Amino acid sequence: MPVAPEGMSGEPGSGGPPLPEASLDAEATPEPAESCGGFHTPRDRRNLRRFHLRVIAATLLYLGATAALRHPAAAPVALAWLLTGLAWLLAVVAMGSYLAFLRQADELLRRIELEGLALGFGAGAVFALLYPLLVALGAPDLQGEATALVMMVSWGAGSWLAGRRFSGYTSGRASSSGPGSP
Amino acid sequence: MTNRLRVLRAERRWSQAELAERLGVSRQTVNAIETGRYDPSLPLAFGLARLFGVAIEQIFAPEPGEVP
Repeated sequence: MPVAPEGMSGEPGSGGPPLPEASLDAEATPEPAESCGGFHTPRDRRNLRRFHLRVIAATLLYLGATAALRHPAAAPVALAWLLTGLAWLLAVVAMGSYLAFLRQADELLRRIELEGLALGFGAGAVFALLYPLLVALGAPDLQGEATALVMMVSWGAGSWLAGRRFSGYTSGRASSSGPGSP
Repeated sequence: MTNRLRVLRAERRWSQAELAERLGVSRQTVNAIETGRYDPSLPLAFGLARLFGVAIEQIFAPEPGEVP
Protein backbone atom coordinates (compact mmCIF):
# COMPACT_ATOMS: atom_id res chain seq x y z
CA MET A 1 0.00 0.00 0.00
CA PRO A 2 0.92 3.63 -0.04
CA VAL A 3 3.19 3.50 2.90
CA ALA A 4 6.37 5.34 2.19
CA PRO A 5 9.26 2.99 2.73
CA GLU A 6 11.58 3.82 5.53
CA GLY A 7 14.22 6.30 4.50
CA MET A 8 12.61 7.43 1.29
CA SER A 9 14.75 10.54 1.18
CA GLY A 10 15.45 11.61 -2.35
CA GLU A 11 12.76 9.41 -3.78
CA PRO A 12 13.02 9.49 -7.58
CA GLY A 13 10.39 11.69 -9.05
CA SER A 14 9.44 13.33 -5.84
CA GLY A 15 10.88 16.56 -7.13
CA GLY A 16 11.96 17.67 -3.71
CA PRO A 17 15.19 17.88 -1.82
CA PRO A 18 16.40 14.98 0.29
CA LEU A 19 13.99 14.55 3.11
CA PRO A 20 15.02 14.82 6.71
CA GLU A 21 14.70 11.46 8.38
CA ALA A 22 13.63 13.11 11.60
CA SER A 23 10.62 14.63 9.87
CA LEU A 24 9.63 11.35 8.27
CA ASP A 25 9.78 9.51 11.54
CA ALA A 26 8.21 12.28 13.56
CA GLU A 27 4.97 10.37 13.88
CA ALA A 28 6.72 7.30 15.23
CA THR A 29 7.26 8.93 18.57
CA PRO A 30 4.40 9.99 20.74
CA GLU A 31 3.79 13.71 20.52
CA PRO A 32 2.71 15.84 23.42
CA ALA A 33 -0.93 16.71 23.68
CA GLU A 34 -1.61 19.19 20.92
CA SER A 35 -4.68 20.87 19.66
CA CYS A 36 -5.33 18.24 17.00
CA GLY A 37 -3.72 15.24 18.70
CA GLY A 38 -5.24 11.77 18.66
CA PHE A 39 -8.51 11.13 16.89
CA HIS A 40 -10.21 14.25 18.20
CA THR A 41 -10.02 17.86 17.14
CA PRO A 42 -10.71 20.49 19.81
CA ARG A 43 -14.25 20.78 18.46
CA ASP A 44 -14.75 17.02 18.75
CA ARG A 45 -13.60 17.08 22.34
CA ARG A 46 -15.93 19.98 23.11
CA ASN A 47 -18.90 18.30 21.48
CA LEU A 48 -18.12 14.98 23.15
CA ARG A 49 -17.86 16.62 26.56
CA ARG A 50 -21.25 18.24 26.03
CA PHE A 51 -22.75 14.89 25.03
CA HIS A 52 -21.24 13.09 28.02
CA LEU A 53 -22.52 15.70 30.47
CA ARG A 54 -26.04 15.35 29.10
CA VAL A 55 -25.85 11.55 29.22
CA ILE A 56 -24.73 11.73 32.85
CA ALA A 57 -27.58 14.12 33.69
CA ALA A 58 -30.12 11.89 31.92
CA THR A 59 -28.75 8.81 33.73
CA LEU A 60 -29.04 10.51 37.12
CA LEU A 61 -32.59 11.56 36.36
CA TYR A 62 -33.41 8.03 35.18
CA LEU A 63 -32.04 6.60 38.43
CA GLY A 64 -33.99 9.19 40.41
CA ALA A 65 -37.20 8.45 38.55
CA THR A 66 -36.70 4.71 39.03
CA ALA A 67 -36.17 5.16 42.75
CA ALA A 68 -39.25 7.41 43.02
CA LEU A 69 -41.41 4.85 41.20
CA ARG A 70 -40.16 1.96 43.33
CA HIS A 71 -40.80 3.77 46.57
CA PRO A 72 -44.05 5.65 46.04
CA ALA A 73 -44.46 6.14 49.76
CA ALA A 74 -41.27 8.15 49.99
CA ALA A 75 -41.78 10.26 46.89
CA PRO A 76 -44.96 11.92 45.65
CA VAL A 77 -46.29 10.92 42.25
CA ALA A 78 -45.69 14.41 40.96
CA LEU A 79 -41.98 14.05 41.67
CA ALA A 80 -41.88 10.74 39.80
CA TRP A 81 -43.60 12.38 36.84
CA LEU A 82 -41.22 15.31 36.94
CA LEU A 83 -38.10 13.12 37.10
CA THR A 84 -39.40 10.83 34.35
CA GLY A 85 -40.24 13.77 32.11
CA LEU A 86 -36.85 15.37 32.69
CA ALA A 87 -35.08 12.06 32.05
CA TRP A 88 -36.87 11.79 28.71
CA LEU A 89 -36.08 15.38 27.85
CA LEU A 90 -32.39 15.08 28.72
CA ALA A 91 -32.10 11.77 26.84
CA VAL A 92 -33.51 13.35 23.68
CA VAL A 93 -31.25 16.37 24.11
CA ALA A 94 -28.26 14.05 24.59
CA MET A 95 -29.20 12.22 21.39
CA GLY A 96 -29.23 15.54 19.57
CA SER A 97 -25.82 16.35 21.02
CA TYR A 98 -24.44 13.09 19.70
CA LEU A 99 -25.85 13.80 16.24
CA ALA A 100 -24.25 17.24 16.30
CA PHE A 101 -20.96 15.67 17.41
CA LEU A 102 -21.15 13.11 14.60
CA ARG A 103 -21.97 15.68 11.92
CA GLN A 104 -19.17 17.99 12.94
CA ALA A 105 -16.63 15.28 13.74
CA ASP A 106 -13.30 14.83 12.06
CA GLU A 107 -13.95 12.58 9.08
CA LEU A 108 -11.87 9.64 10.31
CA LEU A 109 -13.46 9.87 13.74
CA ARG A 110 -16.88 9.88 12.08
CA ARG A 111 -15.95 6.75 10.17
CA ILE A 112 -14.83 5.06 13.39
CA GLU A 113 -17.98 6.10 15.22
CA LEU A 114 -20.17 4.84 12.38
CA GLU A 115 -18.45 1.45 12.42
CA GLY A 116 -19.02 1.28 16.15
CA LEU A 117 -22.68 2.23 15.74
CA ALA A 118 -23.10 -0.36 13.00
CA LEU A 119 -21.71 -3.10 15.24
CA GLY A 120 -23.81 -1.88 18.16
CA PHE A 121 -27.02 -1.83 16.15
CA GLY A 122 -26.29 -5.18 14.52
CA ALA A 123 -25.42 -6.90 17.79
CA GLY A 124 -28.49 -5.39 19.47
CA ALA A 125 -30.80 -6.49 16.66
CA VAL A 126 -29.38 -10.01 16.60
CA PHE A 127 -29.67 -10.24 20.37
CA ALA A 128 -33.24 -8.92 20.45
CA LEU A 129 -34.38 -11.26 17.69
CA LEU A 130 -32.56 -14.44 18.62
CA TYR A 131 -32.31 -14.38 22.40
CA PRO A 132 -36.02 -15.28 22.80
CA LEU A 133 -35.18 -18.59 21.11
CA LEU A 134 -32.60 -19.24 23.80
CA VAL A 135 -35.17 -18.28 26.45
CA ALA A 136 -37.49 -20.90 24.99
CA LEU A 137 -34.64 -23.39 25.36
CA GLY A 138 -34.16 -22.54 29.02
CA ALA A 139 -31.92 -19.47 29.11
CA PRO A 140 -32.83 -16.86 31.75
CA ASP A 141 -35.48 -14.39 30.64
CA LEU A 142 -33.65 -11.05 30.71
CA GLN A 143 -35.33 -7.71 31.01
CA GLY A 144 -35.61 -5.26 28.13
CA GLU A 145 -32.58 -3.31 29.31
CA ALA A 146 -30.38 -6.23 28.28
CA THR A 147 -30.73 -5.34 24.61
CA ALA A 148 -29.75 -1.74 25.29
CA LEU A 149 -26.77 -2.98 27.27
CA VAL A 150 -25.68 -5.27 24.43
CA MET A 151 -26.00 -2.36 21.98
CA MET A 152 -23.98 0.02 24.10
CA VAL A 153 -21.22 -2.48 24.87
CA SER A 154 -21.00 -3.51 21.19
CA TRP A 155 -20.96 0.15 20.14
CA GLY A 156 -18.01 0.79 22.44
CA ALA A 157 -16.21 -2.35 21.35
CA GLY A 158 -16.80 -1.57 17.67
CA SER A 159 -15.47 1.96 18.03
CA TRP A 160 -12.43 0.67 19.88
CA LEU A 161 -11.71 -1.97 17.26
CA ALA A 162 -12.12 0.49 14.38
CA GLY A 163 -9.88 2.98 16.16
CA ARG A 164 -7.20 0.34 16.56
CA ARG A 165 -7.45 -0.61 12.92
CA PHE A 166 -7.13 2.91 11.59
CA SER A 167 -4.35 3.83 13.98
CA GLY A 168 -2.38 0.80 12.87
CA TYR A 169 -2.23 -1.17 16.09
CA THR A 170 -3.50 -4.27 14.37
CA SER A 171 -1.27 -6.37 12.17
CA GLY A 172 -1.43 -6.00 8.43
CA ARG A 173 -2.09 -2.99 6.30
CA ALA A 174 -5.13 -1.80 4.49
CA SER A 175 -5.52 -3.09 0.99
CA SER A 176 -7.82 -1.88 -1.72
CA SER A 177 -10.58 -3.68 0.16
CA GLY A 178 -9.39 -2.38 3.49
CA PRO A 179 -10.70 0.40 5.66
CA GLY A 180 -9.55 3.09 3.30
CA SER A 181 -11.55 1.88 0.37
CA PRO A 182 -14.88 3.43 -0.37
CA MET B 1 -4.72 4.55 -3.29
CA THR B 2 -1.11 5.62 -2.96
CA ASN B 3 -0.09 9.08 -1.86
CA ARG B 4 2.91 11.35 -1.43
CA LEU B 5 1.59 13.12 1.61
CA ARG B 6 4.46 12.12 3.85
CA VAL B 7 6.99 13.36 1.31
CA LEU B 8 5.21 16.67 0.79
CA ARG B 9 4.86 17.18 4.51
CA ALA B 10 8.49 16.40 5.18
CA GLU B 11 9.58 18.79 2.44
CA ARG B 12 7.91 21.54 4.41
CA ARG B 13 9.21 20.17 7.72
CA TRP B 14 5.74 20.03 9.18
CA SER B 15 4.81 17.57 11.87
CA GLN B 16 1.65 15.56 11.49
CA ALA B 17 0.06 17.69 14.18
CA GLU B 18 0.95 20.89 12.33
CA LEU B 19 -0.52 19.60 9.11
CA ALA B 20 -3.61 18.39 10.94
CA GLU B 21 -4.10 21.81 12.47
CA ARG B 22 -3.76 23.54 9.11
CA LEU B 23 -6.35 21.18 7.66
CA GLY B 24 -8.67 21.21 10.66
CA VAL B 25 -8.53 17.45 11.10
CA SER B 26 -7.06 15.20 13.78
CA ARG B 27 -3.44 14.06 13.77
CA GLN B 28 -4.61 10.46 13.49
CA THR B 29 -6.41 11.34 10.27
CA VAL B 30 -3.17 12.62 8.76
CA ASN B 31 -1.36 9.53 10.03
CA ALA B 32 -4.00 7.17 8.65
CA ILE B 33 -3.88 8.86 5.23
CA GLU B 34 -0.09 8.79 5.12
CA THR B 35 0.07 5.13 6.01
CA GLY B 36 -2.67 4.20 3.55
CA ARG B 37 -5.18 3.07 6.15
CA TYR B 38 -7.66 5.72 5.18
CA ASP B 39 -8.52 7.47 1.92
CA PRO B 40 -9.64 11.06 2.54
CA SER B 41 -12.90 12.53 1.37
CA LEU B 42 -12.87 14.62 -1.79
CA PRO B 43 -13.12 17.93 0.11
CA LEU B 44 -10.16 16.97 2.29
CA ALA B 45 -8.16 15.85 -0.76
CA PHE B 46 -8.84 19.22 -2.39
CA GLY B 47 -7.84 20.91 0.85
CA LEU B 48 -4.54 19.03 0.83
CA ALA B 49 -3.90 19.94 -2.79
CA ARG B 50 -4.58 23.61 -2.11
CA LEU B 51 -2.41 23.59 1.00
CA PHE B 52 0.56 22.07 -0.84
CA GLY B 53 -0.11 24.05 -4.01
CA VAL B 54 -0.25 21.01 -6.27
CA ALA B 55 -2.89 19.12 -8.18
CA ILE B 56 -4.67 16.24 -6.46
CA GLU B 57 -3.07 13.83 -8.94
CA GLN B 58 0.33 14.91 -7.66
CA ILE B 59 -0.61 13.71 -4.19
CA PHE B 60 -2.88 10.75 -4.79
CA ALA B 61 -2.72 8.04 -7.40
CA PRO B 62 -4.75 4.86 -7.74
CA GLU B 63 -3.00 1.56 -7.42
CA PRO B 64 -2.94 -0.67 -10.49
CA GLY B 65 -6.34 -2.26 -10.97
CA GLU B 66 -7.99 0.02 -8.44
CA VAL B 67 -9.79 2.19 -10.98
CA PRO B 68 -12.61 0.41 -12.79
